Amino acid sequence: MMTETKINWLVKKKQGLYCIPGDFFIDPIAPVHRALITHAHTDHARPNNKLILSSKETLELMKLRYGNNYCSTHQSIRYDETVSLNNLKIRILPAGHILGSVQFLIEYKGYKLLISGDYKRTFDLTCKTYEPIKCNTFITEATFGLPIFNHPDDKEEAKKLITSLTNNDKSTHLIGVYALGKCQRLITLLRNLGYEKTIYLHGALMKISEYYSEVGISLGRVQKVSDKSPSELISNLILCPPSSLNDKWSQKFKNTIKGYVSGWMRIKQRVKQKNIELPIIISDHVDWNGILQTVNDVNPSEVLVTHGREEALVHYLKSLNYQSSALNLIGFEDENE
Amino acid sequence: MNNFSQLLNDLLLTSSKKKKIILIYKYFKKSRLEDKAWALSILLNRFERKFLSSKDLKEMITEKVGNTLFKYSYDYVGDLAETISLLWESNENIRSNINLSQFMRSISECSDKEKLKKKIKFNLDSSSEDQRYCILKILTGGLRVGVSYGIIKESLTIYGSRTSNEIEEYFHGFQYHFKDFFEWLDGQNLPGYIDRKQLFNSFMLANNFKYEEFIKLNSNKFTAEYKWDGIRAQIIFSKIGKIFSRGGEDITQSFPDINISDSGYYVVDGELVIKKGEDILSFNNLQKRIGRKKVSKKLIDKFPIHFIAYDILFFNDLDCRSLPFLDRRNYLNDFIRLKKLNNISLSKLINFSSWGHLKNIKENTLNNHVEGVVVKKKESIYQKGRVLNGWYKWKRDPYSFDFIIMYAQRGHGKRSSFYSDFTFGCWINNKFEKLVPVGKAYSGYSNEELKKLDLWVRNNTTERFGPVRSVKPGLVIEISFDNINVSSRHKSGVALRFPRFSRIRWDKPISDVSILEDLKKLINS
Repeated sequence: MMTETKINWLVKKKQGLYCIPGDFFIDPIAPVHRALITHAHTDHARPNNKLILSSKETLELMKLRYGNNYCSTHQSIRYDETVSLNNLKIRILPAGHILGSVQFLIEYKGYKLLISGDYKRTFDLTCKTYEPIKCNTFITEATFGLPIFNHPDDKEEAKKLITSLTNNDKSTHLIGVYALGKCQRLITLLRNLGYEKTIYLHGALMKISEYYSEVGISLGRVQKVSDKSPSELISNLILCPPSSLNDKWSQKFKNTIKGYVSGWMRIKQRVKQKNIELPIIISDHVDWNGILQTVNDVNPSEVLVTHGREEALVHYLKSLNYQSSALNLIGFEDENE
Repeated sequence: MNNFSQLLNDLLLTSSKKKKIILIYKYFKKSRLEDKAWALSILLNRFERKFLSSKDLKEMITEKVGNTLFKYSYDYVGDLAETISLLWESNENIRSNINLSQFMRSISECSDKEKLKKKIKFNLDSSSEDQRYCILKILTGGLRVGVSYGIIKESLTIYGSRTSNEIEEYFHGFQYHFKDFFEWLDGQNLPGYIDRKQLFNSFMLANNFKYEEFIKLNSNKFTAEYKWDGIRAQIIFSKIGKIFSRGGEDITQSFPDINISDSGYYVVDGELVIKKGEDILSFNNLQKRIGRKKVSKKLIDKFPIHFIAYDILFFNDLDCRSLPFLDRRNYLNDFIRLKKLNNISLSKLINFSSWGHLKNIKENTLNNHVEGVVVKKKESIYQKGRVLNGWYKWKRDPYSFDFIIMYAQRGHGKRSSFYSDFTFGCWINNKFEKLVPVGKAYSGYSNEELKKLDLWVRNNTTERFGPVRSVKPGLVIEISFDNINVSSRHKSGVALRFPRFSRIRWDKPISDVSILEDLKKLINS
């Protein structure tokens, strides 16, 4: 059971958050009979649920990742549609996190619960922008829930990469990006800044990037790394999953400059720890001020805080007279964003 | 401020020593004299830090964000300067163009704490995040950008018209902030306050030599002394007195138990060791005394310092360096008889009849803290640096022992994608079930071997802890090391000196590796 909360029809079970009147889970960590999925990142969207309900893109991305096991049956909701389930009304709104990411607005007996999943407020060419809506209880993430996190302008950060590519044309730039979302957002930022060369992708990034192109998000010329020899890739940009920066795969490239695109790159000591020479601070999560702005916009009487640095945020929201507590859900990864 | 904060940032993100040298050199090249002078004193931490305490800085930030949010943030970041630089909300409307020297002068001259706080606040308000980080790092000290005296010395050598030897000798005579030092680097004369007699003199260094090379030489023309496992030091016995390390750093403060004051001027070269009664103790003991600014009486009693003198450069104003070695020995002998200090002694000459005989003595000496011998040509004069035809070091054959790889860690820089640092161990007892870690080695293998080792680690990983992997016991390596000592700090109870790979025993089964008891038998054997 949860700590004292205003909302009494939402509980925490070992599979995750459970809505009693609707008989469904939200982003469960183990297979359940019915689930609402906010977005397709693997810590939120897991395979083998019976029925899942989400945006069309999220469902398609899940299928792309998990194959036919992604669920038994599914239902997609449009943005302008309201689904009725038992005595509940369910609506989706864009969360601005990645392609297909949504918030769920669940109304039961006139009481409105807004589950935002992962979200951000910054403009992003690869997904719909976050839409705030008034609610009674707001569930927010707190990945960057400390006042030290204040994301810089993403175009300026992308420029750092272009500058480095220009100044170090005898190097191979190896940049760690999360496969779904960050990879494609970075590419669109670079394209908008006029970077027209082919961008080379690690195999793990190909499928998802192709999907983005199919749904009309233009990424320019991208190609699989393995098509080229390491010496042909000098002076080029290669994107790969962060974990590949230090694995065997990365050893074959010549004269590398290693970068990492993440909100965590804000912390110099972390950059050093990870052996990163080119930190690029771009995040798909809200920063501290973004969370506070959103709480103000959706104007709830209660804020529940999940995954991340909950304590500081709960403390601060209480000082602003919100009722607030931490959900302490498990299974959500810190590093992936 | 901008250039210097950029420099700190670049240094932090670079792990290559070569690139760091170039970064610092470029900064010196493009900066104004006053700025680079301050930069140098900050990089070397050689200036009076009478600014604000950490407590003051914490107060300044908690006034802005409250105690709780500060505490959570500080816990997360772990570095005070960085935490404050991230939490401080600057005023976008004011941007100051203050340069490093203006800033440093303004805060150094300010003696009133409240006024100083105001100044710092104003500067933080009008700075970018990287500049705030830089300001706060200057205030808190501890830059943590991985820059050593050696790296800075190399960039100064590229920068100016002085040689590495000259910089080594004169640098420590200059006072902060080093404006006149840079003028001197650019070719001007030494400032008047520098007293040559208080300065370091470059050491004469020995070349590594092997038996096959020695036998080409006539052994009658050479002397030999034991090479002790301590640290090289140069002591200036004079009114003020100084002790310098091998790199020319002033280490006088760490060794107040050596009486260096003298009405004359004597410069003596030798080795610092810890000696209790008649016994010279291991290097581990000496490490307790190195790098300390204040030394307690307790520490002095527990680890008494001793100086083994082996050469003399100045004998009461007489420059002995152009005299042959044996003549210098006579002066050295006189000096030691004259001084009568119980913690200074003369390095003994070894009697030997041939190279074979000396080799025998070197290998069979019972003292565990003898690294080998130093062979010196009787007629050699004292020259700066590593000159041919002067001194030769002849190390004892290393010990070697077979171990099993237990953990592997990723390297840094070029090796960051390779598992290149290996923790090895041996069986704890003759049940051959449990391993105990003994040491860590990260050199001695070829590039080809490193690739094979890396692959082996990846294929045999059992657990991962960040950059470290534990591996299934299965690979035997032969490790060479210069010495072995008892150690209470290590679980195994022994510490190896400079362990490195000598062979990878792909063929050898782990059951053939010896037990800890066998390793311990090497101590004082």
